Amino acid sequence: MRLFTTVSVAILASLSLAGSAAAQTSGTITARALVRQPITITNGQDLDFGVVIQGTAKSISETAAAAGRFDATGTASANVNVNFTLPANLINGGNNLPIGSWAGCYNQAAAVNSIGCTTIASMAGTTPTAFGNVAGAGRLWVFVGATVTPGAAQAVGTYTNTVTLTLTYF
Amino acid sequence: MRRPLILALVALAIESPPCSAQLVVQGIRDLDFGPVIQGIAATVTTANPTSSGQFYFKTPAIGTRIRIQFTLPTQLNGPTGATMPITFGASDALAKGTAPASVPVSFDPNKTASFTMTSSLDANVWLGGRVTPAANQRVGNYSNTVVMTVTIF
Repeated sequence: MRLFTTVSVAILASLSLAGSAAAQTSGTITARALVRQPITITNGQDLDFGVVIQGTAKSISETAAAAGRFDATGTASANVNVNFTLPANLINGGNNLPIGSWAGCYNQAAAVNSIGCTTIASMAGTTPTAFGNVAGAGRLWVFVGATVTPGAAQAVGTYTNTVTLTLTYF
Repeated sequence: MRRPLILALVALAIESPPCSAQLVVQGIRDLDFGPVIQGIAATVTTANPTSSGQFYFKTPAIGTRIRIQFTLPTQLNGPTGATMPITFGASDALAKGTAPASVPVSFDPNKTASFTMTSSLDANVWLGGRVTPAANQRVGNYSNTVVMTVTIF
């Protein structure tokens, strides 16, 4: 009988402790963040169609010397999304010069270079890429070309508009 | 003398329900600030459907009274010993039962909050917060642990 009593008490004690533990329970998550350098984007070069003739479309390739260029810096090797805000027309007062299409590419080289530029498949969409890593510095060159389609009676004059590049870390 | 001992052990085992069925607390989703820029504070609200932290807990019965207490970090730990402050505001926690009629309740995760489970056995708790990277904050990944403890009382 002594053995029986001793064992029973031991079991009851362990149940009591288990019940107490169940009345307080914890769960865990992680708080996380990814620190990046500020992104800088400067106008490397305007997209310049030069002289355009009425009724004759003119294209500037994204790899041409006259292509527009954005020069960006950020955290080396960090992922970024590329987005453009593209005008439908160049403007001269109340006159519009239609832009028929856009083209673009990017390069992560150490210096400005459109050779070997990676084509941006959809200028209207989001293009994921990354900053290059040039001795620890993040570089990204983005080139823009387009085609303008002046009408036969297009008003003569100088037409301009703004192209905006947005880079967002992800 | 051995037979009574065996019977007693069997009886006790049957009468004791699994303790894990009584109170369950789980971490569901990390509080994820994503990319943050040096020198620019970043906030995640409890309403953020992808970045807010999320816990789940289940109680044994309707009418259960519980206390929720967080163990909150004051900094996230980064590369090569770098740290970044993290803070939690007075409305950075939100609890809502899973029953359709449950009403979300905002509370301060810095303080112990008490609730009575009036219509739901279980609930979700969402957590927001704010990080303030310095202008020269070292780039890289930062993280720390958040613990939510639920106590029946």
